[in-house]
Amino acid sequence: MAAAKSFADKLSFEQIKIELLNTAYGNDRTLIAKLDPRTLFLWYTFFGIAPWFIYSKMILAGMLVFVIGTTIMTKVSRLIIFILIMGLLGESGYLLIASFFFGGNLGIIVPLLTLTMKLSVISLASITAFCSMSPERLGEGLLRIGVPGQVSFSISYGYRMLPTLFEEYNHIFMSYRLRGKSPEKHGLFYFRTVIYFIKLAVKSFYPLLLSMAKRARTTVEALETKGGQYAFRNPAVKKLKLAKLRIGKNDYFFLLISVLYLMSIFISSHYVQF
Amino acid sequence: MNELIHVENVTFQYPGAEHPVLKKMNLSVEKGEFLAVIGSNGSGKSTLCKLFNGLIPHFYTGDFEGSVTVNGLNILNSSVADLSCHVGYVFQDFENQLVQARVLEDASFAPLNFGMEDYLQRGRRALELVGLAHLADEFVWQLSGGQKHLLALAGCLAMNPDIIVIDEPTAQLDPYHAKEIYEVLKKLNKQYGKTIISIEHHTEFIAEYCDTVLLLNKGSVIWKRPMRQALSEVDLLTELNIYPPQAAQAASRLGADHVPITLNEAVAFFKEMIPRSTPSVTKPEPVQAQEEPVIRFDQVGFSYKSMNKKQAQVLKNINLSLFKGEQVAIVGNNGAGKSTLLRLITGVKKPESGTLTVRSQSVASCTPEKMADHVAYIYQNPEQMFIDDSVKKDVAFFPKARKIKDYENKIDEILEQFDLVDLQDKDSRLMSGGQQRRASLAIGAAMNPSVILLDEPTASLDMATRKHLTQFILKLKEQIDLVMIATHDMQLVSEWATRVIVLHHGQIIFDGGKEELFSNPALMDKAGLVPPQIVTLSLALNVDPVDYSVDSFINRFKEVPEEWPLQKASQIN
Repeated sequence: MAAAKSFADKLSFEQIKIELLNTAYGNDRTLIAKLDPRTLFLWYTFFGIAPWFIYSKMILAGMLVFVIGTTIMTKVSRLIIFILIMGLLGESGYLLIASFFFGGNLGIIVPLLTLTMKLSVISLASITAFCSMSPERLGEGLLRIGVPGQVSFSISYGYRMLPTLFEEYNHIFMSYRLRGKSPEKHGLFYFRTVIYFIKLAVKSFYPLLLSMAKRARTTVEALETKGGQYAFRNPAVKKLKLAKLRIGKNDYFFLLISVLYLMSIFISSHYVQF
Repeated sequence: MNELIHVENVTFQYPGAEHPVLKKMNLSVEKGEFLAVIGSNGSGKSTLCKLFNGLIPHFYTGDFEGSVTVNGLNILNSSVADLSCHVGYVFQDFENQLVQARVLEDASFAPLNFGMEDYLQRGRRALELVGLAHLADEFVWQLSGGQKHLLALAGCLAMNPDIIVIDEPTAQLDPYHAKEIYEVLKKLNKQYGKTIISIEHHTEFIAEYCDTVLLLNKGSVIWKRPMRQALSEVDLLTELNIYPPQAAQAASRLGADHVPITLNEAVAFFKEMIPRSTPSVTKPEPVQAQEEPVIRFDQVGFSYKSMNKKQAQVLKNINLSLFKGEQVAIVGNNGAGKSTLLRLITGVKKPESGTLTVRSQSVASCTPEKMADHVAYIYQNPEQMFIDDSVKKDVAFFPKARKIKDYENKIDEILEQFDLVDLQDKDSRLMSGGQQRRASLAIGAAMNPSVILLDEPTASLDMATRKHLTQFILKLKEQIDLVMIATHDMQLVSEWATRVIVLHHGQIIFDGGKEELFSNPALMDKAGLVPPQIVTLSLALNVDPVDYSVDSFINRFKEVPEEWPLQKASQIN
């Protein structure tokens, strides 16, 4: 229990906020982060979709090794990796247990492993592509491939408001605690206390929505005065925003390495089977 | 005549409202003016200013009559975007006006939207003007409140507008940072010839920076006058819940015709007439040190991990014993650690080092829920305390959760006491600032605490609400063992506190009586504190003991009526 408590202490609102923001903005100096968003989109369309249609365990394993490598290169926060692993284990574990109930046997493990590999490749590829792009770069990239300006603005605005959202939520949550009453006894396995906190966590969203709605009013007015609407219609603005985007040597190099690597695992999978 | 803004016969009514907010308003603003707009809550100050960039009537499409011309443009025929090239607007809740993640991006956001190729240079230049150039690559959320305000201003300046409208800059900032923003505005006004329109409650800032004053009441213009003439109307201003400078209040109450506005004038004015004999003064009884302090800090430190993964020290080596019956004011700049100190007492944050005890119970081992039995904490922003959907439910939240017997009667009593009976079924978030503040105090009272912690209770309140609040605080003394207030409001400190603690960069640099503090200018300066005008005046006049309120200053004259050459004095000016 002590370990759980110390973990809970570390996992404060403040900590989650910092991790999230670092994930979004913190690693913009890595090699992958400096690539053009379009390169990453292209790369991702393969690594994010192809695994669904590949059944060779050899190829999947090869791809997995590759995306693990790229993920390490992006220096993503450990919290994200932790959440990912929990998600994958939870998913496969639950399927395994469910299959036993419906007459499955240990033979189920092999197909489950294949599924887990597919999911892992896709998840890690997503992390590589999207965690290394800062929200602005993502927005610029989307704008470049023809997504309306409103979408890319929403992404960068969303991230701008994220810390505020967290702080506000924290304040409301604490308001509940500063006036509420926690259960006298923790109950079996801290059952009562856990229920109490879950209740508060859910309840806090209602005041949060209202206060954010109120804030948004000023933002909308300010956007109006800063020519927000005007910008979406003006092609010159788009050109200015995208002036920085350029596909360079590194982009070609990255794509070339990926293609060469993929070719090598596709070819070797013909000779090696397991 | 170089008229920049012309408002003629404007009447405006928000959609769904019963009465117009602006009634047949006429106004003219000239180029290069530094105009203060004053008036009590709901007098139409913000609404008027939103005419200038066309948010009204284009964004808020209510019933609009009359005509407004800004820099030669008729607002009816110009879009908000067009008008915004001439008028920059800094909102009262300026944080919500910052829409990009990084400082430079936000400053150059408007010129980018208008397709200006030099948008980055414009952003940089604007940041230089407000003194934020060194922070260009920072994230917006890492800035302090004062810096965010300057950034909001820079976002407007990037468009190089002729007119800058700024809505209550002193409401959200401490006096030190408010002064900083006014210095920037002054520079823009004097050096760059910008026209500044500031909605402002604090007459001391008006006296120092503004040229002209526009007084509004209930949607009509009462007058627009040169600053000196305007602030001399002590009776009228007081009636409309606006504080004139304290020296003017004092002189006016002594029957003078021409009242002094600034400190120097006040010194010249009162120098001859001030009675030197010391009237009997009741010094506040020093609180007897009892065996058992209510709250005890022993070597308490607190830090948190900041964005760049560095440990930021908020409080260090805090040693403090607070006793029953004390009225403790905690002062210091934003970021000095005032709120953190209060929050440690509530148990929502645990001290990182040292021990903190409340009624000899260690806070570290208690949940905030447990601490709430003794301690009530009133947030700086009342909205963050509203967790239910009506005022009454919010006030009843604590006693209901604790299943206190007959709590309904007590709640009705409290609602009565705080003048909330008519508002009890309203959603607290939809009320005005003053009403929200009252509701937040009522919530605290319903907790029946032995320690109450108030975080900036008087920020952005008009005079009526502030009076109401002070009454409440005075009444608290009877039922509550210890009252602590973190505040920038030096008038509140000088009128109320028996003990003042000054925080500076997380450390206590002073702990003692206000007499000692106010007579130590070096210390005040270091902590960024400005004493109330009446205190500075008393010090400058060398009166002993120093007066802490206008009332006591006036009493000085009343006790020696025969030596009171007021007629003569008023002729001096």
